[in-house]
Amino acid sequence: MIRCLIYIDPNETESSLDLIEAARQLHGDSFEVTGVLCSALDQLLPNVFDRLAVVAYPASGCVDPAQVADTMQAMHWKDKYLSILIPATPFGRMLAPRLAMLLGTGLVADITQIRRKDDVVEVIRPAYSGSLMACIRYVGEGPMMMSVRPNVFRDMVKEERAMRIMPMQPRTSGGGIERIEVKPKQISYDIRESGVLVSGGGGAAKSFAKIERLAELLGGKASASRKLVDAGIAPRSIQVGQSGKTVSPELYIALGINGAIQHIEGIKQAKHIISVNINKDAPLTSLSDIVVEGDADRFLDQLIRRIQQYQQSE
Amino acid sequence: MKLICLVKFVPDVGSAKYDFERHTLIRDSAHLQLNPDDVCAVAFALRIKARHPETIVEAVTMASARVTPNMEDLLRIGVDRGVILSDPAFAGSDTFATTRVLGRYLSRQDFSYLLTGTHSIDGDTSHIPAQLGAVLNLSQMSGVQKIDESLLEQGIARFDVESEQEITTYQMRKPCILSLTRESGYKLPYASRANLEKDFSAQIQVMSNAELGFLPEEVGLTGSKTRVVETYVKRLEQREQRTVRADESGVEYVFRFLTDKGFI
Repeated sequence: MIRCLIYIDPNETESSLDLIEAARQLHGDSFEVTGVLCSALDQLLPNVFDRLAVVAYPASGCVDPAQVADTMQAMHWKDKYLSILIPATPFGRMLAPRLAMLLGTGLVADITQIRRKDDVVEVIRPAYSGSLMACIRYVGEGPMMMSVRPNVFRDMVKEERAMRIMPMQPRTSGGGIERIEVKPKQISYDIRESGVLVSGGGGAAKSFAKIERLAELLGGKASASRKLVDAGIAPRSIQVGQSGKTVSPELYIALGINGAIQHIEGIKQAKHIISVNINKDAPLTSLSDIVVEGDADRFLDQLIRRIQQYQQSE
Repeated sequence: MKLICLVKFVPDVGSAKYDFERHTLIRDSAHLQLNPDDVCAVAFALRIKARHPETIVEAVTMASARVTPNMEDLLRIGVDRGVILSDPAFAGSDTFATTRVLGRYLSRQDFSYLLTGTHSIDGDTSHIPAQLGAVLNLSQMSGVQKIDESLLEQGIARFDVESEQEITTYQMRKPCILSLTRESGYKLPYASRANLEKDFSAQIQVMSNAELGFLPEEVGLTGSKTRVVETYVKRLEQREQRTVRADESGVEYVFRFLTDKGFI
């Protein structure tokens, strides 16, 4: 039996479940999938795993990747998984490399695609700041390990599975990390949850206030390309792209964004894309439903005025 | 107190050239710079040294010996010693093989804290610091921002990690691995006038596989657990589209599209 192990990040449960779709693309339709949750089972998980290992940590979860790596290593020794998938959350990104090293196996970070060539699995990830895509094969005995960014694989119809719960005791090794205090931050917003994103890039560096205004008029949020974040105009929390967030809004309006692959990787699941650029042949334009050739600032002024005019006449 | 900074000199990813035959970056073609997150790791170490002059700061990298001038620049601003792990046998190492090499060197060193960056702008896997944690059996934390300087001497690293929703303060005991992000904002000092002209080559050690003693199959391409088999510049699938100009009729077209689809 082909076995796959998936780590469920208690802070990103839903997107962790999407890794089942990645497993399906990896193994075909017939495989056994085990989830591992290192937190109290206080949220209702749908029956999408064959087995669910619940490691008895307090509700706030485990803070030490070394302990989780130890637990998953022991599970692998017992059950011999063909693949281990971990969401590329902050915790997952510390856990995956540790576990890969313990298991002496290869790990590929941030994969965006899985394919088979001559019946050999190849995983694909953007490399060198997204300037190109790299196809990677695993060497050695495995298991195949990968970290997967939230929102990259979407599992639309999840297959119902038996979901046998296996309670487990936490490992006592590691434990060198103590959580002292947690302070809530003044939350801005999560661009991944917004149905409409109005996004600014280098060509709209001086128009960010107008971008926020348009986003507000469309009931959406403002986001930004890496260029604006690096320039200090927009906060990193609203950055779209491989080095920022992967988003899947209904509408994505890109203003003055050329669309390096790293950016495009972050928006390829957007339903509708409108891009405004003085260069109508910029890479992003080929993905767009509508390409507006021209200056972003001028376009913003005109569209904002048009929408306001419409709203006043209503 | 000894602080080791693990650093990487990275190409300006915008201008680097790529060898599509060998699937490796042509590093000679690009101007190298200290990886931005690693800048903060070195800057923090030098800040501690400024406060406690008895602190020893060492910078370690695995790279071609070509980075020697970059390493000298770190000595010019106050790093005490530079180590470059360099051997043709290491070329083509994936993160697994790289961790093996770095891990063997670091396992022979005595240090209080290993300071690294969280991300590198070229590979951007963030694997090495956490993998070193496994190899050296040390606690490791990524995304480190503000470190409490007063507790370090007592062997306690207390620091903040910021996520989307919260700021969490963690604590680890030395020795441990702290991986900083550029959001920490630690800035490198300037070199003194005297140091600008000084020859620092005696404080840089280039260490080859002769000292580390790996079998050829343990490191480099052959010691790697992953292999890049193909690289390509992504072609985008074309959507059915319409191009308009940013004038009145173009804006009207966009407006109609938005109302038709129910966004307005």
